[in-house]
Amino acid sequence: MNYLASFGLQILVMVALAPLVNGIIKKVKAFSQKRKGPPLLQLYYDLWKLFKKDTVVSETTSWIFRITPYIVAGAVVLAALLVPVNLNLPSFHFAGDVILVIYLLGMARFFMVLSGLDSGSTFGGMGSSREVMISVLLEPSLLISMFTIGLIAGSTSVYSMMISSAGTGFLLFQPVYLLLFLAVFIILIAETSRIPVDDPATHLELTMVHEAMILEYSGKHLALMEWAACIKQLIFITLLANIFLPLESFLAFASPNSTLMSSLLLYLAKVIFIAVLVAVTEISTVKLRLFSVPNLAALSFILAFLGFFQYLLVGR
Amino acid sequence: MIENYLHLLSITILITAFMLVANKRVNEYIKTFQLQSLLLAIIAGILGVHHVSQTGDWEILLVAVITVAVKVVYIPYLLRTTVRKVEYKVEKDFFWNIPISILICCGLVLLSYFTITNIEDISDRFVKIFLINSTAVVLIGLFFMISRKKAIGQIIGFLVIENGLFTAAILSTNGMPMIVELGIFFDLLTAVLIMGILVFRINESFESIDIDKLKNLRG
Repeated sequence: MNYLASFGLQILVMVALAPLVNGIIKKVKAFSQKRKGPPLLQLYYDLWKLFKKDTVVSETTSWIFRITPYIVAGAVVLAALLVPVNLNLPSFHFAGDVILVIYLLGMARFFMVLSGLDSGSTFGGMGSSREVMISVLLEPSLLISMFTIGLIAGSTSVYSMMISSAGTGFLLFQPVYLLLFLAVFIILIAETSRIPVDDPATHLELTMVHEAMILEYSGKHLALMEWAACIKQLIFITLLANIFLPLESFLAFASPNSTLMSSLLLYLAKVIFIAVLVAVTEISTVKLRLFSVPNLAALSFILAFLGFFQYLLVGR
Repeated sequence: MIENYLHLLSITILITAFMLVANKRVNEYIKTFQLQSLLLAIIAGILGVHHVSQTGDWEILLVAVITVAVKVVYIPYLLRTTVRKVEYKVEKDFFWNIPISILICCGLVLLSYFTITNIEDISDRFVKIFLINSTAVVLIGLFFMISRKKAIGQIIGFLVIENGLFTAAILSTNGMPMIVELGIFFDLLTAVLIMGILVFRINESFESIDIDKLKNLRG
């Protein structure tokens, strides 16, 4: 396959599919409450509307506030390039590994936190400090899980991890993978500000974390920030789907000539599955107090730790 | 193949031990213990079916049924009635906060790893893993006992230690003799009954089941 075409397809899938995942999660949640809910493509309409509007920037802010949306969007899209959608689209895998992905997202978060502080409003500062606390608690378990999978694959590149797990059938029966899957799933919930940690639907000042940081943004800047948040969510979902749910071996028998199309459909099915899983978690839990979030992070940490430990014992 | 599932289940038991340490309410302790015992019964059931199909030996299957009856149904029921009768306030029940307790438990897992790997006579790799996981459950049960203030927490810690021992025994030896298993179950039942009565008495004389209060002098 042509290199440029695969590169373009990768970026197209990651960037264009991201708001749809939010729509799916919202639809499932609405379905559980016997509502009709917003249409699946609502976030696209919202982004379109925001892109047409003027941006209002507070006079007290510095250049950091104006440059942050571009840095955040750029870093997140770059990170999305390094997480291949499926094995037929190698794209940029040689240029960076999963550590680069994690710290590109970390840089995006750093600038988001700075911009929250920059506007000088109380909400921004509060959201920033909370976001930093949560991310500090979650980073160890994310790194431990990724390093364990890297040890199994013999490389930290996402593409090698996918290849090593694609060869081994159904993985979740293997204890190491099950433990790491649960650990990374908790991280996905927390990083994308979903319900046990943060509530994406409200603007109640006592609870919000992510919304508090981007409260001062409007128009095009807000659209970029929201889109970046969606892409970040899709990056984590893609990591989970491709490393822990490798179903490519079933596809090999299906039809040899339409592999790219069918593997993309398979990827879509996996993403929808994990999105439904996220929605079910949101439905069935209540929001934690902020000071209980360390307990959730500790749970994720012990799952990652036990996974690493069982890898040491069994060697996969 | 069967070792793989047993490995998964033995880790799940270890995780329920961690969940127990992370819990805050007495009712949740009982629920987690119930879950752990159910997983134990599933292990015994898998081994039992395996044995029946291999040798026609039904003793382990019987142990699984007794585990469900005693540990999943009857002991939690006894503990719930005890909790309901004792005057019960929701208050802080632990000495260290939860993340620190969990880190200490991670240390206990490492301790059991370094202890068990030094035993050279275990040749089977999976038996070694099972022993490490279940020793860790025993140690976490001990830690749970010393880290909780309420008497109910101590009973649950004792039961978790017993669960850990039972897992170690059934996974590494393919089942103890029937008479030993029955003896252990009756011991356990009497112990829980007596401890329940003891909790009543503590509650009667100190108006609380906080064991810190036991230090007070009473005439």
